[in-house]
Amino acid sequence: MSSHHPQIRRRRRGLLVAVCLWLFAALPWPSKPAHADPLEGALEIESAFVNVVGGVYQLHVRTRYPANEETVAALRDGGALSYDVDVEVTRERRFWTDATIVTLRLERELSYHSVSERYVVRDPLVEGEQKSYATLEEALADLGSVDSWPILVASQLAEPGDYVVSVRASVRRGRLTDALRALMFWSDDWQRESEWYSWSLPR
Amino acid sequence: MVAATLKSRRTTILAAIWIAVVLGALFALFVSSQNSAQFGRLQPWILLASAVAVAVIIVLLARKIAQLVNAYRSGVPGSRLTSRTVLVFGALVALPLLTVYVFSLEFLNRGIDSWFRVEIKQGLNDAVVLSRSALELRMREHDQRTQRFAAALAAQGSTGVFFALEEELRNSGASEIVLYGEHARVIGAASRGVSDSLPGRPPADLVRRVSSGASYVSLEPVGDSQYLIRTAAPLPGAPLATGDARYVVAIYELPRQLAELTDAVQRSYSQYGDLAELREPLKYSFRLTLTMVLLVTLLGAIYGAIYSAEVLFKPVQDLMAGTRAVAKGDFGTRVPLTSHDEMGFLVQSFNDMTKRLRRAREETERSRLAVDRERERLEIILARLSAGVITVNRELIVQRVNESASSILGVNLADAAGRSLSEIAAAAEVAATAEGSVLVAFVNELRTRFVAGRDDWREQIELRGAQGTTGSRALVCACGNGTQAAGDPEQFVIVFDDVTHLLQAQRDAAWGEVARRLAHEIKNPLTPIQLSAERMRRKLLPGLTGQDADMVDRSTHTIVQQVESMKQMVNDFSEYARAPALQMGAFDFNRLVVEVTDLYRAQEAGIEIVTRLEPTLGAVEGDRSRVRQVLNNLLTNAFEALEGLRPARIELQTALREVEGQPTVELTVTDTGPGFQSELIGRIFDPYVTTKPRGTGLGLAIVKKIVDDHGGRIEAENRREGGALVRVMLPMRDRSRSLSARAARPESRRERA
Repeated sequence: MSSHHPQIRRRRRGLLVAVCLWLFAALPWPSKPAHADPLEGALEIESAFVNVVGGVYQLHVRTRYPANEETVAALRDGGALSYDVDVEVTRERRFWTDATIVTLRLERELSYHSVSERYVVRDPLVEGEQKSYATLEEALADLGSVDSWPILVASQLAEPGDYVVSVRASVRRGRLTDALRALMFWSDDWQRESEWYSWSLPR
Repeated sequence: MVAATLKSRRTTILAAIWIAVVLGALFALFVSSQNSAQFGRLQPWILLASAVAVAVIIVLLARKIAQLVNAYRSGVPGSRLTSRTVLVFGALVALPLLTVYVFSLEFLNRGIDSWFRVEIKQGLNDAVVLSRSALELRMREHDQRTQRFAAALAAQGSTGVFFALEEELRNSGASEIVLYGEHARVIGAASRGVSDSLPGRPPADLVRRVSSGASYVSLEPVGDSQYLIRTAAPLPGAPLATGDARYVVAIYELPRQLAELTDAVQRSYSQYGDLAELREPLKYSFRLTLTMVLLVTLLGAIYGAIYSAEVLFKPVQDLMAGTRAVAKGDFGTRVPLTSHDEMGFLVQSFNDMTKRLRRAREETERSRLAVDRERERLEIILARLSAGVITVNRELIVQRVNESASSILGVNLADAAGRSLSEIAAAAEVAATAEGSVLVAFVNELRTRFVAGRDDWREQIELRGAQGTTGSRALVCACGNGTQAAGDPEQFVIVFDDVTHLLQAQRDAAWGEVARRLAHEIKNPLTPIQLSAERMRRKLLPGLTGQDADMVDRSTHTIVQQVESMKQMVNDFSEYARAPALQMGAFDFNRLVVEVTDLYRAQEAGIEIVTRLEPTLGAVEGDRSRVRQVLNNLLTNAFEALEGLRPARIELQTALREVEGQPTVELTVTDTGPGFQSELIGRIFDPYVTTKPRGTGLGLAIVKKIVDDHGGRIEAENRREGGALVRVMLPMRDRSRSLSARAARPESRRERA
């Protein structure tokens, strides 16, 4: 047995690997449900800037969020979407990774109120405050406008160096518990992020 | 050994990587489930970690299976047991796992589908429609009231607007009524609240609506289960397109109970919507998760089965390998002791057994070496023994034989072990050699005694050679039963020594003494007798006449003649007894033969003498005169044998031979006479043995003595075609002659022993 030609041995080994791969592929793998990308469309930070008011740095962001029939249908069927804005302020270091000064997230939730037939925008962290809009475009316009968001105070920039502000917007399926979100690990298409929008912080 | 260690280390590293990757993925999953902000960031890494984990375990398992298959094919000890265990264990794990997997999938599909039944969806839709209908009635009422109020305000003009607003607020139950002018400027407002802040800008859709001249009504959720009905109506008669329209906006709060009911319907609808959106992704996620769990569990279980089987059967494999090694004779095998359980006891017992076996084998080896040494010693003794030794069984199958036996019996018995002595003798006899006849006689003597039941004897036996030859041997032979122990094959040890030459020497010595005494005792009185007879003849014969004179004449003549004859006989004896020192020198043997034969040819006795001489013979070292005597005696013998026989022929032939590595001249003298008498041929070279009516019988005895003195050999036999043949072998060199002469003497062989 052991005196077989190496070429025959290699061929047998290849056959064995092929059979293993075939068996692996033949397992009853679940197929992913096929549908269009529900968040298709432009998702980008159109503009952002910071101004200082009384020693408080306030962020202003204009974001363009995607909207399509899938989004409308999902909202009208009772679903909710989270529109988040992440901001990160870092201080550049020459021989080391940048120091993170602050990381913040602004969360808003968009849903459709079926009885009143209006789009509702609310802050999930603040109970009782919400705004409603007759159209999705109005609601997205409101979501895309962030004004005077206090992100840090001057004392946090005491260290000398260049500071960089980075902003990113993201959309994801809202109103999911964390456990449910973990369960949706494999198949959640309702999640998109924009590129980071960064600029040096003027001091 | 090093390769195996490296491979084991590689496997350990791979297993460690796998465990680290799985733990990392689980930790990342845990972190992402606690903080949804991390989810997006960690998801690719979790996917990558899962893929790496699956790949690593597949690689590990594939290697294990490949190793197992190779071991199975190569017949590695324990591989079949391991394979069977892995198959059984794998089947035991795989069957319930697959069963649970299939049932779980079915359960999940049905369970999740049952959450989203069409009836529930329809019911919720109906509830929403019903709620909307109920609210629309109220909204329409408020809308109409607002339109009426707007018409009243338009009719009223600009006076008393504030009072009208206050009054409408009180009468309508609205929470706020605002009159907007151009560009949504507030003209007047009435509110139930205590706040003195300005009313907010109207929603854009409201403005668009009233700008088009239509009334506006909407239900606005404001949180905390509160709803507002916002109505608006343009004041009739105002210009619309310029933006200078005036319109009234009235806000009504939905009653608490109705708002809560509306909120409940909306909440249910939303929750169902959330879940409905998750339906297919949930099923997919569950199926994928279940499949991954099944795969990892199955692969892990099979890998674990292989690993456990290897660990479990490692001592068994070691034991099998050890057993094979022991079976091949390697008693130094030690199986490593890895545990102290029953398997450890087995391993310990095996090691003890191999230890004892090794000691026993070493003991046996020592004994064998001792036996071998003894046997070699015995071989040396037997080889140097001048006596022949043969070990045979009762059927005369040879078991052992020494060199001297071959030399004594004249037959090469070096490869006789295992062969029948009778067959060897028969083969030698077929070759028609004198030695073969001796061996046949020897075998016959042995067989006779074994048949007679004599196992232990010691005798001198006379072995006669073939008919018509002088090759008889006298052996002193002893036989003893050499069977060592009961049950061993029967064997007899036969020890024999050739005493032919010894007896011959004794005989020669005796005859020499006789001859010397005869010469001494008889020769002395012969001369006085002869002289007396001659004196009597000389004194008496002249004085006598007639018959007396004739009688004296005949008597004295007879006396003198017989005395002469006796003198001749005494001289012959004297010649025989006398042993003068050889006058060695080189001479041409062929020339000597020619000289002697020419003398005999000169007698013209009517006998043909033929010589066939070897031209390359050259010079021979010896005593020329005594060799001449040999030739004379042989020719005389032949002439006497051919007396009265015609035609008669004598042939002398010389040849160059090599005997025992020494150049030897062979002289063959044949005649066409009657040959030797068969009963005397064995003693033809003894003195006084003759077949002729005349002669002393000393001729051939003297010839033999001279040949012996030259270290040569002489044989006599009768030819098949008739006549006698005498063959003389003389060493050509004096040195080799002295060696062969010594070797021919029995005393010299005894010295070797």
